[in-house]
Amino acid sequence: MEDPKHISIFTGAFGSGKTELALNYALKLQETGKKVTAVDLDIINPYFRIRSVREALEVRGLNVVSPCGRLAGADVPALPPAILGVLDDSRGYGVLDVGGDDIGATVLGRFKGNLRDGSFNLYFVVNTYRTHTRDVPGILSIMRRIEKASRLQVSALISNPNLGPETNLETILGGHRIVMDAAQQLGLPVALLGVHRKLAGRLKIRDVPIFPLDLLLKLPWQDD
Amino acid sequence: MKGNEAIGEGAVRAGCRYFFGYPITPQSELTHYLARRLPEVGGLYLQAESEVASINMVYGAAGAGARVMTSSSGPGISLMQEGLSVIAGAELPCVIVNMMRGGPGLGNIAPSQADYFQATKGGGHGDYHLIVLAPNSVQEIFDMTGKAFDLADCYRNPVMVMADGIMAQMMEPVELKDEDRFEIPPRPWAASGMLDHPGKNLINSCYVVPEEMEEVNIKLKEKYTKIIREEQECEGYLLEDAEIVLVAFGTASRICRAVVEKARLLGIPAGLIRPITLWPFPADFVAGNTGNAKCFLTVEMNMGQMVEDVKLAVNGKAPVFHYGRMGGMVPVAKDILQEVQKLYNGGVVK
Repeated sequence: MEDPKHISIFTGAFGSGKTELALNYALKLQETGKKVTAVDLDIINPYFRIRSVREALEVRGLNVVSPCGRLAGADVPALPPAILGVLDDSRGYGVLDVGGDDIGATVLGRFKGNLRDGSFNLYFVVNTYRTHTRDVPGILSIMRRIEKASRLQVSALISNPNLGPETNLETILGGHRIVMDAAQQLGLPVALLGVHRKLAGRLKIRDVPIFPLDLLLKLPWQDD
Repeated sequence: MKGNEAIGEGAVRAGCRYFFGYPITPQSELTHYLARRLPEVGGLYLQAESEVASINMVYGAAGAGARVMTSSSGPGISLMQEGLSVIAGAELPCVIVNMMRGGPGLGNIAPSQADYFQATKGGGHGDYHLIVLAPNSVQEIFDMTGKAFDLADCYRNPVMVMADGIMAQMMEPVELKDEDRFEIPPRPWAASGMLDHPGKNLINSCYVVPEEMEEVNIKLKEKYTKIIREEQECEGYLLEDAEIVLVAFGTASRICRAVVEKARLLGIPAGLIRPITLWPFPADFVAGNTGNAKCFLTVEMNMGQMVEDVKLAVNGKAPVFHYGRMGGMVPVAKDILQEVQKLYNGGVVK
């Protein structure tokens, strides 16, 4: 979180926790007094996207760019023109939540020309308990495919090992170790370790900053 | 895992090696998953040119004795109905997944339970039934996919696994059971060449002589009677002293469980019945476990479909009400609770 870049892009495999991480990151950035816009670039999956919690985020003062009105609930690749405004506004901060896998990352290629070198961080979020990123070869394979599809280089990994409500400290430590191994092989840093807030205080890890998460995308039977 | 992935993995581990389908939201990740996974185990994934083609490819593969699956959402399932009737008529095992969305017509891609009638009351033409399973967690989606293949083989009947966009897209931890747990039974009836059985096998649903057709109908009826007797599956929650009984399946049942807990905190003796098989509808469980019930409230994401089966099962012993949201809207716990309070305090439950 130190010295954040003008644009932070969150990519990863399907269901790796990109949206929760991006939203928590955006809210945290906003708390430091910066002007932050969260951009919903997920044009792959019509469920559990930023747009489904748009109102709640706006109440908290976060700017949100996502397809508006009738297009919000459609499975069409609609990209609002306001995205370019966020990328061009060098005084503001943009947090981009991208769709899953290489298919989801393809949309980034369209903005390659608007992303100046050194002005952005491309994060690759990894949950080692997801089917295709359980081990180092799996993580490398998906990351390479995302880089190819987006025509951009990943700047850092974000470790997000969890089993949803069944996560415990052991789960986190075991998964995080695999992410560290992958990062070492890639020669990339691990920027953050995402952990549910209720476990964050009990975790003893020094090699990576712990990033406490408040879950924002809830199921209809989950209480606030 | 996501629900869609759990179906894919469940199918692969149940020995399914053939998938024919056509993408449609909200089940596209399932096709995506199997496109990657099936070739790893020597299976075949084929994206057909339409849902009509998919279901007829399923017919062909099932007739040749394969474990085979297709999946779609409402509009695509409608296109498959002729094929489903043919498969049921020819008595072939296969699994069909329906991740329901808002309708009628093209509707939208939001979660819904509006295909209950279509799945449980026929859908296609002629006298037939699908076995219909309604999971309500990702673990159950995985387990039930395996069970669906077993039921299909056991009864030589198409089995539908039915859920909605929330179930398809949500993520929950899943324990993947041992591989090769399912043994694929022999299929002496399959049209798979004459090497392993004497004489010709014919897969057919066309009987031009009415007497012969009726004979088939009688045989099917006997099979359906046996399924109704042996395969009803249901889960009860806090029913023992329940005076107001909610009935809900799939996504709605997860919300209703939270409602029952909230109602209990308010001193209202509420309980929940969750049908797991939608056909056969667990009528015996509903009738046999609700001795204290003074009224029933079905909660569905449709305008009132399962409520008819609940009324038949309750058989006039208590009033049956319906609360529904439609068009892709998901019922909210506090609104259902309000409905429960209205019934309880309004004198329906005395």
